[in-house]
Amino acid sequence: MKKRICILGDSPLVEEFAALCLNKGYTVQARLNASGAVGVRLPKGVKKILRPTKANDFALELTNIERERKKKNLIELDKALPSKTPIFSSSVTFRGGEQATWISHPDRLMGLGALPTLIEGSLVEFAPTQFSDVSVRDAAGRFAQSLGKESEFVQDSVGLVMPRILCMLVNEACFAMGEGVAVPRDIDTAMKLGTNYPHGPLEWAARIGPRHVAAVVSALHIGFGEERYRVAPMLQNAALVNAFRENRV
Amino acid sequence: MIKTVGIIGAGTMGSGIAQVAALARFEVVLHDVSAEALKKAMDRIKSDFRRSVERQKITATEATEALAAIHPRKDLHDLGDSDFIVEAAIEDLEVKRKIFKDLDQIVGPGVVLATNTSSLSITAVGSLTNTPECVVGMHFFNPAPVMKLVEVVRGKHTSDGTAKETCDLAVTMGKTPVVCKDTPGFIVNRVARPFYGEALRLLGEGVAPVEQIDRIVKAEGGFRMGPFELMDLIGIDVNYAVTKSVYDQFFHEPRFRPHPIQRQMVESGMLGRKTKKGFYSYEE
Repeated sequence: MKKRICILGDSPLVEEFAALCLNKGYTVQARLNASGAVGVRLPKGVKKILRPTKANDFALELTNIERERKKKNLIELDKALPSKTPIFSSSVTFRGGEQATWISHPDRLMGLGALPTLIEGSLVEFAPTQFSDVSVRDAAGRFAQSLGKESEFVQDSVGLVMPRILCMLVNEACFAMGEGVAVPRDIDTAMKLGTNYPHGPLEWAARIGPRHVAAVVSALHIGFGEERYRVAPMLQNAALVNAFRENRV
Repeated sequence: MIKTVGIIGAGTMGSGIAQVAALARFEVVLHDVSAEALKKAMDRIKSDFRRSVERQKITATEATEALAAIHPRKDLHDLGDSDFIVEAAIEDLEVKRKIFKDLDQIVGPGVVLATNTSSLSITAVGSLTNTPECVVGMHFFNPAPVMKLVEVVRGKHTSDGTAKETCDLAVTMGKTPVVCKDTPGFIVNRVARPFYGEALRLLGEGVAPVEQIDRIVKAEGGFRMGPFELMDLIGIDVNYAVTKSVYDQFFHEPRFRPHPIQRQMVESGMLGRKTKKGFYSYEE
């Protein structure tokens, strides 16, 4: 029998995960957050839902931008799904442990390193919370495997590993660009040829979406309360333009 | 038109740049105050050319011609006929400033004086010359014969013509130039700081251990090497020195603050591959 998954959250994460799950044989139901979803289409074959249904084996909550939206989505999933159905929730901007306190069955929630395009890699990062049941950890490993990915489990911390390193690289490139150190193309070329990075940091920002990058850096700033994590003005501006376009186009 | 490139310093970078210039069919005057350094450099270049011929990257004729085009010289005045100078002496501001002041009296008018530095201010290096508009940064990456990137760094007074001539030369040498302002770390050594800095903080905070961070960065991010593998390769002391330099030059901007783990590794003598112990062990 086909595995069933329910995916709620931000664009383009929902589309990316829905397409992958569909491709790996899942029956997928999904709903995009209203904000940022204008003009976006879910992959063909994904059932567009208004509310999550009970009959799902896993759920993904992929909101990185708006805290209240994320909280509502998680509460909705928690109410709709049987108490043991695992929920893998993006924890790159809000710690998984905090998210778990929003729902009635905190033991079923597992943090997930979800940032646009990272699912193209061969590994998925998970972060168990202090409440996560051991069976949810096993389920996370099986879920990653079913997508053809390896899994790594790290401590529950804002940004986890790859999203934090990557977003801070982009942030620094944005500071450099804003200060006129070099033109964007030269910054990208320098990082690819000088350090063998797979993509230039500014190309990466465009692929991920400045809103998501700014959200991660901002979450680190709030989480650690350190100047080190302030968002580069250029990134902040790009995120605003990004948000404007997503909502108006 | 550039025919002769003068190169100062016969260390790893200087000899590498000499190889690149000679293979691009320039006459090369390679200067070093040490005869021993010059001999070692020529031996290294010969051996590299031999390997390149064996690997069929260049022909035997090209290797012979390129080798014949490199003229090792101990006297700085022998650079007088050079059309373009690349200084690759040790990374010490006072040493470089002295060389540039001397060069000012030796080279012809309008000759570009490029300094191959990864961390020093181009403006400061050129400050004692009478022609600061001709002074530019030309940051080759190690190993110079292999790495394609050259950062062309414009000091406060560098003219458009000087920057363009430097870019053109880099292209003729088969490199890809990128132009940047004279700011600490230029592009690469600045933008790359969080790759190491955040990895060290993740380690320090206990979010993940060394091996796991490296695995994640490679498999999830598509990087060829993880931050700890790379620090071991570069040398943890070298990486720490670059971080400190950028941090100091930015007047202690918190984004560039070094991590205590780096300092401790340096203090313990665990410097990476070169000491066979770093974040990983390389002992057989």
